[in-house]
Amino acid sequence: MRRLVALGLTIAVVWFVVAGAGIVPAAPRVTALALGFSLIAAALSGALIERFGLPRVTGYLLFGMICGPYILNVITRPMARELQFINGVAVVLIAFIAGLEMNFERLRPRLRSMFQLGGIGMLGLYAGLFVAFWLGWPWLGLGTDVPLMQKAAIVAILTTVVASYSPTVTIALIAESRASGPLSELTLAIVILADLILILVFTLVMQFVRYAFGGTGEIGLFVSLSWEIFGSFAFGAAVGAVFAFYLHYVAREVAVALVAVCAIIAGVGSELHLEPLLAALAAGLVVENIAPPRGDMLKEAVERGALPVLVVFFAAAGASLQLDALATIGWVAVAVSALRMALIWGSMKAGAVYARIDQPIGDMVWMGLVSQAGVTLGLTLIIAGEYPTWGTMVQTLVVSLIALHQLIGPVLFRAALSRAGEIGGMDRGESLIPNP
Amino acid sequence: MGPAGGVFFRLTSSFRTRAALGLRPVTAPVTVFLPLGIVLGPWGANFISLTALGHLDVVISIVLATLGVFIGIAAGTQRGAVGRLLTASTVEAAVTILAVAGAVYALMHAWDMPSPIPYVLVALVLGLCASASAAPSVDEGDNRARRVAARVADLDDVLPIVVGGVVLAMIGEAGTPALAALALSIGLGVAIAFSGWLLFERTAGAERDVFVLGTLALLGGSAAYLEMSPLLAGLAGGWLWARAPGQTEQVVATHLRKVQHPLVVLLLITAGASLQATTAGIWLFAPYLVFRTAGKLAGGWMASRLASEVAPSDLGAYLIPPGVIGIAFALNVLQVAPEAGGPIVFAVSAGAIVSELLAVIVTPGPNPV
Repeated sequence: MRRLVALGLTIAVVWFVVAGAGIVPAAPRVTALALGFSLIAAALSGALIERFGLPRVTGYLLFGMICGPYILNVITRPMARELQFINGVAVVLIAFIAGLEMNFERLRPRLRSMFQLGGIGMLGLYAGLFVAFWLGWPWLGLGTDVPLMQKAAIVAILTTVVASYSPTVTIALIAESRASGPLSELTLAIVILADLILILVFTLVMQFVRYAFGGTGEIGLFVSLSWEIFGSFAFGAAVGAVFAFYLHYVAREVAVALVAVCAIIAGVGSELHLEPLLAALAAGLVVENIAPPRGDMLKEAVERGALPVLVVFFAAAGASLQLDALATIGWVAVAVSALRMALIWGSMKAGAVYARIDQPIGDMVWMGLVSQAGVTLGLTLIIAGEYPTWGTMVQTLVVSLIALHQLIGPVLFRAALSRAGEIGGMDRGESLIPNP
Repeated sequence: MGPAGGVFFRLTSSFRTRAALGLRPVTAPVTVFLPLGIVLGPWGANFISLTALGHLDVVISIVLATLGVFIGIAAGTQRGAVGRLLTASTVEAAVTILAVAGAVYALMHAWDMPSPIPYVLVALVLGLCASASAAPSVDEGDNRARRVAARVADLDDVLPIVVGGVVLAMIGEAGTPALAALALSIGLGVAIAFSGWLLFERTAGAERDVFVLGTLALLGGSAAYLEMSPLLAGLAGGWLWARAPGQTEQVVATHLRKVQHPLVVLLLITAGASLQATTAGIWLFAPYLVFRTAGKLAGGWMASRLASEVAPSDLGAYLIPPGVIGIAFALNVLQVAPEAGGPIVFAVSAGAIVSELLAVIVTPGPNPV
């Protein structure tokens, strides 16, 4: 009851401030209000929705969606835009947590089967989507009388983007439910592996698209690709080593230092054209596998630092969900979404059989791979920026898919974790992932 | 000492003293981190660019509200001879405000200085910034004079924060009448703090962290959105938590202690990075420093006459260190009126550095009973 009163009061105060101001102030003044509102109200919504057996992140997303510009407009468009500032740090923090969770000594016996499952699953999904988009071309609205090579290029890039997973949501879900066990580990490994492959494939396919549309392609393709992948790992490993050193010899204000490390990786990484997600993953891997800290210091810091970042990240994502895009292209998006889920299910099931993954884990992995989020959106922005004609249509379709998958994915994965009996597993083991 | 007094002393001794950042007693944070901000800032090495400074503006609103909460809790948890202490600190603050504001107003007229806002507002802002003092560190074994000076130094921030709320509304472009802005800032602070009060005691761990951080951001953000004073909203919130049933003020104080060092460092580095030496700023600096010192000494002497039972005769000397509240208020003015705020931030920051150095000589050291 107290929580409901607090939620009502918070919404009333923010509505009063936003409606009473009359003018929209400059960006920095909007941000603090949006941040405070999201932290309190989204956290309360998450706790509320958990009572119905749904994941907290769904509560954060729904809060953002309902209070966002398309429905109640308490979080106005400028506020929603300003909240995006947290995205960079959030993605880095989440990847860092994933790195902390990957202990090579523990994973080594299962690495082979993980690669087999991930490889077959991704290949099946990619092939299925490519064929479906090729055959369903007339319904996608991407143009008529398109030359064969250009059609192949568009279908390839659309497939690459639609096939992507969301490491962010998967890791956040594992963190939120304090899950630990084979399903969590397997899903985590697959989404991270898929993210690495996505960057590689997207870069290659974009070169094909440029070639097909009369461009010359970049001469330094492999140099830039190597820089993005190996440079990110090297940079992340260096930052991880410095952080490990800090944990050993300073060990004060660890939560603040952790957020600062994430801000550095996000800021410096994007300045140097590195992939912040990979860099943060490498930093986490170094800390966990080379210089693990003593005691619960880092666990407590991650627990304290991660929750506020995750709450704001998902509330911002909810407020930015483009519901108008979903309304425009609704039936196509629903059809593509259903097809994608069916393909993930089928290819993962085949992969699980080939890799001899224990049941029922093999049957449930697909449920952790449905979510899509920020990385996918970022890729569509690149496409739409270079090819406004058909790229904008691809963007609308993918944005609609993200809206659907953001809502469906977490619910499915939470259900799988629950069936696997892994929820709360961290409290019984020694995992580092915190409870948001 | 009761629990409320315990909170008060822990807050004041851990937050507003020279030792707040683990530095040696003679090293004030202001003298370290303000120059560091200058070096890192856009007019120095440009590690903190103008764009980054813009992003830090968000954090400053939250830091301002947090400082207000500190003062609000400290004021709200005062027990015993509060009336006399409040009188002494109000007199001391008022004398300093009048000394600095009067002198600056007269000199600006005499020099015919260009200013985007009326002279009286510039003078008042500088007076308000000057009136804030940092409490001397207090240990269990310290003498009574030092303890009283510490409590007066905390209470003397209340008047400038309240008057500052009115002045800020007069400077801003939102057009809210000054008294309405005052009432609105306090009302917002109380409403948000009440919401926090409902949440804090029934939660724990990381979830409570989120609620405390969110409430502080909401206090700072709602006031900043309306071009009002986050310090005042925070003060009202902190005071409510201190007076409300339960242990909310202790919950908040415990959480704030975890972030106090980074917050103070961030505020000072931002202030340093925002410093731009302008002719107006340099002209304002000298009278600010001289009349602040004179005002503190005279104000301390008058306060000790008016409330001789509680105020030590060398009170003024204890109150020379300026702490961070004055700098925080100057940054708040910079947010609302960037053109007018530049010279003010320069004068106040430069004045703070020199005052801290001066305090090393004139402020009595720890003197056990």
